[in-house]
Amino acid sequence: MGMSSVSTGSDAMKLCVFDLRRGQNEGQELDKILFFYPADLPFSTQLSVIGLSEGLITFTRIFSPEVACEVIEAEMHSHVFYEAEPDIWMVMVVEKSKESEAIWRIEALRGVLKEVHSLFVMFHGSIRALLDKEPAGGLIRTHLYYFIMDYLSDFLTVKKLQLPNFRESLKQRGTVQMLTIGREVALEVQSLVKALESSAGSIQCYSLIMYQDLLVSTTLSPDDTVNLFTYAVLRLSPHALSSGVSSWSYLRKGNIAPDVSSGPVLPNSGSALDHNNGSHETSHVGDHRYNAMRPLKHDKWSRGKDGFLVADVWGAEVDRSARTCPAIWLHQTEERMYLCAYQHRNLTLIFLVPVTSIVSEEQGISFMKQQIIENASLKIIKVEEKLSRGWGGENAYHVSGYRYLLVDGDRSTSRATPPGKVTTLTKESLVALSKLREEVDLEKSRVKWDGVGREKDLELCIRAKNNAWVIARLTRGKELFLVLEKANETLLYASDAVEKFSNRYCNGVFSVD
Amino acid sequence: MFGKASSSQSSGFCGSGALSHVYIQYPPLRCTVSGSRNLLYDDGNKLLLAPTSDRVFSWKTVPFDPHVAPSCDSINEGPVLLVRYSLDSKLLAVQRSDHEIQIWNREGGETFSYKCRSESDHILGFFWTDSPTCDIVIVKTSGLELLAYSSESKSLTLVETKKINVSWYIYTHESRLVLLASGMQCKSFTGYQISSAGIIRLPRFEVAMAKAEANSKPVLGAEDVHIVTVYGRIYCLQFDRVAMLLHSYRFYRDAVIQQGSLPIYSNRVAVSAVDNVLLVHQVDAKVVIMYDIFADSRAPISAPLPLLLRGYPRAASMSSQSISGDYEAVEAKVLTGTEAITYGDGWKFLVPDLICDVTNGLLWKIQLDLEAISASSSEVPFVLDFLQRRKSEANKAKQLCLAIARTMILEQRPVSVVSRALDVLLASYSQSIKAGSYHKRTKAEKTATSGVSSANRTNTVIDDANNQSDAFGKSVKRETQTSSIENESTNRSCLSASDSEDNLSVETQKFDSLKLDSSSGKMDWDHSIKAEASGAAVHQPSPQSQILGPGSTPLNANTSENQDSQVTSAVISPDDLYSFVFAPAEEEMAGDASYLVAIIVEFFRRANLDKLKVHPNMYVLTVQLLARSERHAELGLFVVNKILEPSKEVAFQLLESGRQNFQTRKLGLDMLRQLSLHHDYVVLLAQDGYYLEALRYSRKNKVNSVRPALFLEAAYASNDPQHLAAVLRFFSDFIPGFKNTSEHNTYSRVLAEMNTSIAA
Repeated sequence: MGMSSVSTGSDAMKLCVFDLRRGQNEGQELDKILFFYPADLPFSTQLSVIGLSEGLITFTRIFSPEVACEVIEAEMHSHVFYEAEPDIWMVMVVEKSKESEAIWRIEALRGVLKEVHSLFVMFHGSIRALLDKEPAGGLIRTHLYYFIMDYLSDFLTVKKLQLPNFRESLKQRGTVQMLTIGREVALEVQSLVKALESSAGSIQCYSLIMYQDLLVSTTLSPDDTVNLFTYAVLRLSPHALSSGVSSWSYLRKGNIAPDVSSGPVLPNSGSALDHNNGSHETSHVGDHRYNAMRPLKHDKWSRGKDGFLVADVWGAEVDRSARTCPAIWLHQTEERMYLCAYQHRNLTLIFLVPVTSIVSEEQGISFMKQQIIENASLKIIKVEEKLSRGWGGENAYHVSGYRYLLVDGDRSTSRATPPGKVTTLTKESLVALSKLREEVDLEKSRVKWDGVGREKDLELCIRAKNNAWVIARLTRGKELFLVLEKANETLLYASDAVEKFSNRYCNGVFSVD
Repeated sequence: MFGKASSSQSSGFCGSGALSHVYIQYPPLRCTVSGSRNLLYDDGNKLLLAPTSDRVFSWKTVPFDPHVAPSCDSINEGPVLLVRYSLDSKLLAVQRSDHEIQIWNREGGETFSYKCRSESDHILGFFWTDSPTCDIVIVKTSGLELLAYSSESKSLTLVETKKINVSWYIYTHESRLVLLASGMQCKSFTGYQISSAGIIRLPRFEVAMAKAEANSKPVLGAEDVHIVTVYGRIYCLQFDRVAMLLHSYRFYRDAVIQQGSLPIYSNRVAVSAVDNVLLVHQVDAKVVIMYDIFADSRAPISAPLPLLLRGYPRAASMSSQSISGDYEAVEAKVLTGTEAITYGDGWKFLVPDLICDVTNGLLWKIQLDLEAISASSSEVPFVLDFLQRRKSEANKAKQLCLAIARTMILEQRPVSVVSRALDVLLASYSQSIKAGSYHKRTKAEKTATSGVSSANRTNTVIDDANNQSDAFGKSVKRETQTSSIENESTNRSCLSASDSEDNLSVETQKFDSLKLDSSSGKMDWDHSIKAEASGAAVHQPSPQSQILGPGSTPLNANTSENQDSQVTSAVISPDDLYSFVFAPAEEEMAGDASYLVAIIVEFFRRANLDKLKVHPNMYVLTVQLLARSERHAELGLFVVNKILEPSKEVAFQLLESGRQNFQTRKLGLDMLRQLSLHHDYVVLLAQDGYYLEALRYSRKNKVNSVRPALFLEAAYASNDPQHLAAVLRFFSDFIPGFKNTSEHNTYSRVLAEMNTSIAA
C-alpha cells in the first residue's frame, strides 16, 4: 500500500482518533481529526492516514456492517482499528521494522486503544457527548490531546514509544489482578468494606480496595472495576506514587507543560480549523478556556497528611471545587461519582460517592472523609496488617517450572507469572506464544461472531523451535496459557503438566478427560 | 416450673407500664397458723417453719407454690428459739434455751437433748451440715462444736471443737459458710466452710468501719452482714452505717479480699440474690438496686426502682392476671391493706430470694422482670450480656435476646452496635461450647492423676455435637487452672459454693484462680472477672459423675439434689440466630439488602473467629440478598474468597440467582464441581447446552446416573447432526445394550431425518 507519506523516522507509531460524521464536505476534512500522534506531522500526512482508514472502513462495511475493518496488514505497517464509539474510530499504525522487537499481537495493541478510550470515558464521558456539547471540537481535542499524551507517556522509553510487543504475551490488558486471601482476611476485608459503605449513610456508594498493585475487594461492576483498577495502578497505588519521580517523568516534567501550552498541534489545528471554517469562533484550543483536566498527568496525586490522596492541580485553576475531589463516570450506571482515595501503607482504598447525593462538595466530601476515618481507620490498619503478613512478595504467584497466564473472562481477572520470571524465557518461546495467542484471538472472535452465544472449549498445543511447549486451553470463559521450556519431549508430558497445574491452581477448571 | 412461671408472667406484664424491674408475684404463700408467734426459715431444707407451743408446721418453699399445704410435726411443749430439720429430714432439732437443744428422731419418736456444760457458755444457734465428719454444728459463745449423730446409739458425739469467742454468727446453707463475729466492735470475723468436701478455715479478717466521731466505736450487728452467693462465688456484704456504704468482700481459700463498695441510701438494708443478680433493698427508701457483679463495673444495672407487687387484684381494676379459681378470688379479698405494703416492718429477707412477711404470715418470692430490665437500657450489647447470664428464666431471656437482636436489625441501628451485640451472643455461645468440651477432656485426666477425692460433684458436660437443646447447667471453667498450677504461690483458688437445691442452678465445681498482685496486694479483678465470664456456660445436664478435684485440695461445696431439673439456657446458637433473627429480618426488610449484608458479614467474621459453624442457610440468604440487589461482583468475591462456604445449598442458590447473571450461575456450577456433586453438575451442564462437556465429564468421573435422553435431547436441540451422532455413538459404545433401547431407535431415526434434510 502506498503509505509513503508516513514518516519512518523515530516515530514508529501513529495514533489517531477521528469522527466519521464530521468533515463530510470537501475542504473540511481536517474537521474529522480529533487527535493525532505524532502531533507535529503535517496535516497532509495526517489526512492521508485518516483517509485511508476511512476508505477501508467504508469499504468493509459493505460486507460487514456491524464490524467493519479490524486490521490491515501492509508490508511495512499494521493498522489496528478500533471503533470506540459509533463512528468514532481509533486507529493505530505500527511499523513492521526489521528490528527484532517489533513483533506485535494485534489484540494487544487494540487493548491499548480500548484502555485509553475507557479511561478517557471514565473521566470525561464519551467523546460523542463532548462533541455534542461543543460541536466546534476544541473541547474534545484539548481533552483528548492531554489525556492521550499523558497516557502514552507511560509507554515512552528513553527514545521512543515502546508498545506492548510479544514480550508481554503473558499479560492481559484490561483485566484485574487479584490478591488471593484466606477466608478470615476476606471477612475482615468485607467488614471494612461495609464500614466504608456505612460511612455514607443511606447513599449508594462503591468502594475498591487494593493492596499494592493487586485488587482485594470491589463493589463495582467488572467493567468499572477494570477501569478504576487500571487507573489506580497507573497513578494511585503506592508504587505509582513513589515512581512519580522516575527518571522519565522527571526529565519530561518540565517539557510537557510548555509543550501543551504552546503545543504545536492544537493551536495549529485550531487555526487550521478557524481558517477552514471561518464562521467558527476563533478559538485557541491550547488556552485556558477549556479546563484541561489531566488525570493521567504524572505527579498529580500525593498523599495528604490525613491519609487521603489529593490531586493538587486537578483541572484548571478556574474550577476551584474540582481540585478537592475529582469525579468519574461509571460505565454501568452512567452515574457521576466523586473519587476519594485513602492510603495506608500498601493499602489503597478508593471510595466513590454519587455527585448528585452531595449538595455542597467541599463540606460533603470532607464530612465523608471524616466519617471514613472515624468508622474505618482501625479496620484499615487491621486489614493492612493482615494482608502484609500474608503477602508473599512480588513472586508470590510464581509457579516453578511454569510460565503462565490465567484469564477469567467472566470476572475480568487475570493472573500471570511475575514479570521477573517471564524474562527468563527465550525469545523463541515468547514469539511462539504471541503467535499462539493470535490464533486464539482469531478463534475467539470467530466464535463470537458465529453468535452461538456459547463458550467454546479450545485446546492448542505447539512445539516451538527451541523445543518449548506452548499451550493454550480455553474452557467456559477461562483461558490458560502456558509456556513449558524445560518440558519433556512428549505431548503427553506437556498435557500432564497442564493437568497438574489446573488441579493445583485452578480448581481443576482446565482438566479434561 | 419456670417455664410455667415465665409464660404466665410475660402475658401479664407487657406494656402495663409499671416501673419496676423486680417484683413479687401475687398470690403469696400464706403461712398463718393459730398459736404460732414466729416464722422461722430452715435454709438447709428450704422450709418455712411456724412453731407453736407443741407443733411445728413447715411449708416447702422450693419449688415455690403459693398453695402448698403445710406438714406438721409434734414436739414437746416449751419455748422454741430455733428449729431446723436435719438434711435428710429424719431429725428435728429445736433450740429451747441458751443452754439446751432438743432433738427428735421423726421415725422412732425418741428425743434426746444437748446441753451446755458450763453455765457461762450460751448457745447462739446451730445448723445441720453435710460434712462427712459431723452432722450438726452448734455455735456457742465459746466457739463451734461439731457433733456427729449416731443412729445406733441415738445420740450425738462430739467430733471437734473450735475455740473462739463469738459475739454473733451468720450462716447460709447455700454457701456452707459460717461467719463468727468477735471483738469489741464485732468486726473481726472467722469463717469456716463446712461442706461435703470437708472443713475449711478461712483466715481471720476484719471489716472496715468508718467512725462517726473520734471516740465512738460503732458495733457491727448481725443484721448488717450478709453472705451472698452469686455465680458460685461467695461474698460477704457489710453495711457500714456511718459511711453509708455496702462493702463487699470475696472469699478465697486463703484470703478474704475487699472488692469495692456500693452506695446505700437507706438506714435499713437487705440483700437478696435472684438468679445471680444481687439485689440491694433500700428498705427505708422502698427501692431496690440491682447489681450484676459478674461484670467489672460496680454500676447498678438500672436506676433504683420500687419493688412491684404484681398480679394483686385491686378494687378498681382487675389485674391482667387471670384469676381463674374461686379460691383465688376469695384469697384476694383476704389480702388486707397492710399486707399489700411492700417493705413493711414485718418483712424479713430470706436467703437467697424470699421475703417473709412475719406480721401477716406471708411468704413472697422475688423475681426479676427481664423484659423491663432489657427495655430500660439502650445499651444493647450490655443488655444482651446481662440476659445471657440469666439462668432461672433462661428461655425467656433467650427469647428476649432474640427479639432484641431482631429489633435492632429492623431498626437499622449502626453496624458497629449490632456487631458488638452479635459479639456478645456468639461469645457466650462459643464459651459454652468451649467450656463443655474442655471439661470433658480434663475429666479423664483428673481421674487418672489425682487420688484424693471425697466430694461428690455435679458436672455438666456438653455433647460434642453441641446439642444445645433447652438444657441448663453451669459449667466449669478450667483454663485458668493451668496457670494456677504453674504459679501456685501467687495464685489463689477461689472459694465457692454451690447449691442446686434452689432448683435454679445445677452448679458444678469451679476452680478459679486469681492472680494476686504481690506488690500492692491488689487483686487482679478484671482477670478474675473475665475468667469467670467465660466460665458461665450452659449445657445439657449430665448424669452426676464422680469427679476428682485438681491437685490442690478441693474447696467447693456442692450438693446435688434435684438433679433432674431441666432448665433452658439463654445461649443462642448461630442456627437460632438464623431462624429467629436473620430470616425474619430479611423478610421484613426486603428493601435494604446492603445493611443486612453488612450485618451478616460481621456475623460471619465473628463466627469465624470463634470457629463456629454457620448454617448453610445463612450463606443461602446472603446469596439471595446480594443477587437481589444486583451486586454480582460482590457475590463473586464472596464465593471466590470462600466467605460463603461451599455447600450444595449455596451452589443451588447461586444457580437459581444466576438466572439473570451467567457469571453467578457459573459460580454455582463450579461449586458443584468442586463439591464433587457429579450428578448435579453433569445434569446442569447438559441442560445449559454443554452436553459434550457434560459427557466428557461424566465419562471421566464415572457418572452413570444421568439418563442418556437428557444428552440426546440437548444434542437434538442444538440442531447439529454431527453432535447428535457423536452423542449416540458415545452411548452405544459405553452403555451395554443401549442399542436396543427405544431412545436409540428414536434418535437414530431423528438423526437420519436430519441428515436427509441437510442433504436435500
